[in-house]
Amino acid sequence: MKLRSVYRLAIVLTKSQMRGSQRPKFMRRLFDDPRIILIADVAIVLGFGLLGYRFLSLGYLADFRAMINSTILNALVGVPTAIAFAVIVFGVLYEISQPVQSLSTDLVNWLPISPSEYVAGSIVSESYIYSLMLSLFLGVLLGPALYFGMSGVWVATALMAVTSLFIGSCVVEFLDTLTNRISSSFYKKSGRSGIAFRLAMTIFVLAFVQLMFSGQIAAYVLQSIVRTVTVAWFVPVIWPSVAVVSTSQGNAFSSLSFASLSLGFFFALFGLAVEFRTRFWVPVPVSIKLTSRPYVPGKVESRLPGFGAVESAIFRKDLRSLVRRREMARFLAIPFVLAISMSLPLFSIGGTSMAGGPDFVAFMPLYLMPIAIFCGLMAMTSIGQEGSAVWNLYAIPILPRQLMKAKLIMPISLGVVFSTVLIGILNFILKVPLPMFVVLVVLGAIVAFEEAALGLYFGFKFPDFRESVRARFVSVWGSMFGMVTCVAVALITAVPIFLNLLIFHDLIIEMTIVSLVIGVVVFVLALKLAERQAGILLEYIRV
Amino acid sequence: MHPPLQTLQVNGVVKNFGNRRAVNGVSFSLSSGEVLGLLGPNGSGKSTLMKMIVGVLKPDMGNIQVLGVDVGTDPVSVKRMVGFVPESPRLYEFLTGIEYLDFIADVHALDSSTKRERIPEFLKALDLEGRENELINGYSQGMKQKLAIIAGLLHRPRILVLDEPLNALDPRSARIVKDLIHKLRDDGVPTIFSTHVLEIADAICDRIVIMYEGNVLAEGTTQDLRSKAGTRGSTLEEVFLKLTGTADTHEIVEALSR
Repeated sequence: MKLRSVYRLAIVLTKSQMRGSQRPKFMRRLFDDPRIILIADVAIVLGFGLLGYRFLSLGYLADFRAMINSTILNALVGVPTAIAFAVIVFGVLYEISQPVQSLSTDLVNWLPISPSEYVAGSIVSESYIYSLMLSLFLGVLLGPALYFGMSGVWVATALMAVTSLFIGSCVVEFLDTLTNRISSSFYKKSGRSGIAFRLAMTIFVLAFVQLMFSGQIAAYVLQSIVRTVTVAWFVPVIWPSVAVVSTSQGNAFSSLSFASLSLGFFFALFGLAVEFRTRFWVPVPVSIKLTSRPYVPGKVESRLPGFGAVESAIFRKDLRSLVRRREMARFLAIPFVLAISMSLPLFSIGGTSMAGGPDFVAFMPLYLMPIAIFCGLMAMTSIGQEGSAVWNLYAIPILPRQLMKAKLIMPISLGVVFSTVLIGILNFILKVPLPMFVVLVVLGAIVAFEEAALGLYFGFKFPDFRESVRARFVSVWGSMFGMVTCVAVALITAVPIFLNLLIFHDLIIEMTIVSLVIGVVVFVLALKLAERQAGILLEYIRV
Repeated sequence: MHPPLQTLQVNGVVKNFGNRRAVNGVSFSLSSGEVLGLLGPNGSGKSTLMKMIVGVLKPDMGNIQVLGVDVGTDPVSVKRMVGFVPESPRLYEFLTGIEYLDFIADVHALDSSTKRERIPEFLKALDLEGRENELINGYSQGMKQKLAIIAGLLHRPRILVLDEPLNALDPRSARIVKDLIHKLRDDGVPTIFSTHVLEIADAICDRIVIMYEGNVLAEGTTQDLRSKAGTRGSTLEEVFLKLTGTADTHEIVEALSR
């Protein structure tokens, strides 16, 4: 293995991942060079360490000494395992959002680089990127560790956390090769059902990951790691944390043993990853046959009611894109994540019936936000998802109005379905009274329509057709402006209902009509703006 | 005798990309049933010009008329009449071949019976029969090129604009496409196409336009070009290299082989 090749490759992979990320431009430039990342790592550890030590030395938290001491010890034990899981989870997410084309055209596939050099380069690159997160953890823990005389444990944590970082990166590399290989064979054989399975799995993984990183669940997981360390010492991913526990207990033999086992585990994983990379070097896109039935052309009657042949054809294409493209699955995961995230605080409200009143006012944003975010995002990304194949839209005879109508169908229809499901969940948890139930149904539908139209405007105005390294579909600024506007408009639409709940109390029908009028006005205005923007976009190709 | 009907008229077209001028005041015309070859080295402005002809790009100056319709004023009508195959076409990879063609047929408002008749016919002619139900992302470059050619021809366009249409095609498919261009010429459908393969241009073009750095360097039949270049009896390649000032390749080859 040539170390120079590993180093050069690690730099190239790091740069491509940093440049393809959605971080602000100055951040990308700042951390473009891995050497700067390493300097930043040291600065973060020392900076946070000194700040923490200085803060504790002031004595403000003297009364909580015992509690802080045990929390810091828990954290020092938990960090190595947590960092490995975090790297694996983020690595899997990154893989999911990468378009297949960029995987199959990897430069290294035809350069004279050995599998072991590639695997080592990939692990180093992955570790560079996540080292910033690790430095933050270690920096925050350094001050208290020094203050409470646990500097030896901190050093053990730092060493084991770096080992865990490599273990996590190694697992990601291994999973990358494995999933490409398995998915290639699987989809080739199973066709349409394979695509459905992949979609379901991707949604599950994304929803799971999202929930794992919600505050309540993350705290529970960290506590579980510490509890698990002593009983599940035989699980290899936990060995680095067991080594830290042994250090804290002054058991040098156990500490060294588990540290050695951790290193051994890393090298075993490295060997396995190299073996897989050697056997399945080039991920080749497979030919997936969806049906063996003869061609039956679509009939004129199959057009959607109220829409022409062009709009219907584009809608069918977009629907296929949504269920077949791996990078689109994240959008389908959004409703699940939002619905679960919304339900958790509702369960804590207590599952009691709501007659409508101040509690309901506090709850309304919880109901409207997911609809606004989902519909807005679906519409905003619908233009950019054309990617480099967007030239097809420029080459076909299509009017801006037709394109706008075609792109409106999906977010509206999915948004209405989503709002209905949300109301169902809501009714299950809170036993919403019938009049409020009807109000929520109307309000959900209004918000779905207006957000879809608003989202389209932002999608036409700020499309991002780039597919490599990571498909965004809408520019960073566009999505920020768009999201803020969508959420604000959803709340403004609900203001009459809020007023009735807080002040008028018995004008629910009138206030719902006012909300409806606001929604229609916003919808029509946003459509006009979106059509105008579609015209500007279709004037000439930008990619 | 009536003069041939002008189906395409390009008048003083200019296109800039930032400070770089990609097309510099190009003018030419195309008559009914004529095959016009656009030749030029990489970056000479051929693809940009073709994109402007089909209304995908907007000229900064000048105008283009396709069958009497101004592309700038009514690009949608022009797109209905034109069949366009871009250089390295990017297709919707998540669709199957047949779904892609069905999509294209729908946006050109072809009815069911026309689709049923034409799509299988084209698939068979270009050897895609049996692969039409596979996702496009599993297709080879040549198969994608064939699909793009079918998509360009499906609605029976009144003028063809083909940017390097024979790229990545196997010899049989390339022959079919060439014969198709001849057949369409006989039916009065004009074609403008770009290529780097000068033998093909020599064999199937009635007239050739040579572009260099955004300008039209020479225009005419191959005979006209030979006499302009003062290389009577030589190959089109020699004419092309002489006209574009790139004929002196000897030193470069020497340096590269050192």
